[in-house]
Amino acid sequence: MATLLEAKALTKHYGQTIALESVNFQVQEGITGLLGPNGAGKSTAIKLFLGLLKPTSGSAEVLGERPYESLGIRARLGYMPEHDCLPTASTASEFLTHMAQVSGIPPAQARTRSADILRHVGLEEERYRPIGQYSTGMKQRVKLAQSLAHDPTVVLLDEPTAGLDPGGREEMLRLIRRTGREFGISIVLSSHLMGDVESTCDRIIVLEGGHVTEEGAVAQFTRETETVLIDVDSNRDELIAALAKRGVTALIDGVSLTVVLDSEDQYDAIRDSLVETNARLRRMALRRHQLTDIFRVGQE
Amino acid sequence: MTQPTGELFDLGYQHYDGPREGRMRARKAVFIDGFRTTLGLGRGAGAKVLPMLLFGSAMAPAIILALINSLSEGQIDLPGHAEYYQIVSVVLLIFAAIIAPELLCPDRRNGVISLYLVRPLSITDYVAARWLAFFAVTILLVYSGQIVLLAGLVLAAADPLEYLKDNWLDIPRILAAGFLLAAFITTLPLAVSAFTDRRAFAAAFVIGIFIISAAAAGALTECDNNHGRGPGGQCENVTGDAAKWFGMMDVSRVPTNVNQIIFDAESAGVRSRLTSELPRIVPIGWYIILTGGLATTLWLRYRRISA
Repeated sequence: MATLLEAKALTKHYGQTIALESVNFQVQEGITGLLGPNGAGKSTAIKLFLGLLKPTSGSAEVLGERPYESLGIRARLGYMPEHDCLPTASTASEFLTHMAQVSGIPPAQARTRSADILRHVGLEEERYRPIGQYSTGMKQRVKLAQSLAHDPTVVLLDEPTAGLDPGGREEMLRLIRRTGREFGISIVLSSHLMGDVESTCDRIIVLEGGHVTEEGAVAQFTRETETVLIDVDSNRDELIAALAKRGVTALIDGVSLTVVLDSEDQYDAIRDSLVETNARLRRMALRRHQLTDIFRVGQE
Repeated sequence: MTQPTGELFDLGYQHYDGPREGRMRARKAVFIDGFRTTLGLGRGAGAKVLPMLLFGSAMAPAIILALINSLSEGQIDLPGHAEYYQIVSVVLLIFAAIIAPELLCPDRRNGVISLYLVRPLSITDYVAARWLAFFAVTILLVYSGQIVLLAGLVLAAADPLEYLKDNWLDIPRILAAGFLLAAFITTLPLAVSAFTDRRAFAAAFVIGIFIISAAAAGALTECDNNHGRGPGGQCENVTGDAAKWFGMMDVSRVPTNVNQIIFDAESAGVRSRLTSELPRIVPIGWYIILTGGLATTLWLRYRRISA
């Protein structure tokens, strides 16, 4: 698989503040999530790859070139900022046509691309209305569309679901998945929401405090941290002891017990322990958003 | 047997494999967009009102002068090419103050600037393209007015060819003075626009500069009533000899002072007469310093935005 983006000892300081400290990672084809809490350095990393910022040291390379020095490579990049970036008076159609041209596409082709992309993001009907009249969800789709107008090799999406309601968020994630899978455009998606990354990405890079703390395939993360949550109304301590006897470690997490699964056999151990201690089981569930644990580990 | 002639396919996403023209296309696109914005093209009717008024007020004096000239068959001594720029400069400056911020302020206010910054053009390309767009509109406007006026004068002359032979020097003068006027009225409001993302603030500030500088220059160059008129009916200025220099403070007259030098014309108005007493290099130098300084300010300001 081709390496699209590469951070080599990438460092960015803002005066005394360290945003990124000697970070190394590679981004391959597919959808990559840049996950981390606010202030982890996600936006800084994206801006370095776009050439908006100059690295303090090290390099951020796109297809082997440095966007801060090479304007040409920017024609291959798309960017969807987190903040507002749309004109209010233009129509979506005009705006996209213009932006495609600013990326180097001749006018006639730019118009065709604009119509195509707006159809793909589901704004075919509204494309001749001024953007100022759009809803938040529609504006967010125009923001995605402008990043795709010039058919980039890779797009960088900075918090693409920010400010959307659950329905809008699901719709945006679906569009991002389609862009990555069907359109074959590689995506780097930054988010502080594990759900976004888990449901959309192939790979994850976790940034915290300016460092890469974890990196790997999404499947690997969820498998490694699969956890069973057990709520009992009585005999909790006895249950813990019974589980320990069978070689299963149960941790107390608030009112619940959590068991990190490393094999299917542990389900049997849990069942037998419950029966033995006669603990009244209220709830037992597989925890869904496992990526939270990555942060919890990091913060301890 | 008839063959099916058409079928609908959803081809899905199509990759683009056509030409990519990079930086040059990007510059052109920003220029054309700026040009259209200035004229209100592709916008609602409301956006076209100001540009139409601007066009009308720049052309009207030229048309009227040309008409009177041809009707009177050159018998009346009317304002000519040198005076035309003076007549239209104030109106042009006010309109420029209102329209020019439209090219820069909304891009920063709406955040669109961050989309330009990640595309294959530099911030210098962006500012230069916007500057050229507004400059192109203003220079077309001032030249059109002069061409109408010239046409009127030539046609009204008893012998048009003879008139052109006698007055050919007007043509390079029109071109030079028009260029300088357009450059000035483009640069000042754009430089101010770099400091605020509110169009109204930029416009008010530019118009404020004109009014305040004109008032200050007026106060400092006016005739001293206590001393009355000096020997030979000459006006004694409050600030004495320094009045010549204070006369240059009037920002709206910076380009027209140079215009008078280019046309080698008698200046109308006390202030312009005062500055014309200075060595020629002074008003020219002042124009260059002011316009160049404003252009540099505009550029440096945008370089900082990109960082």
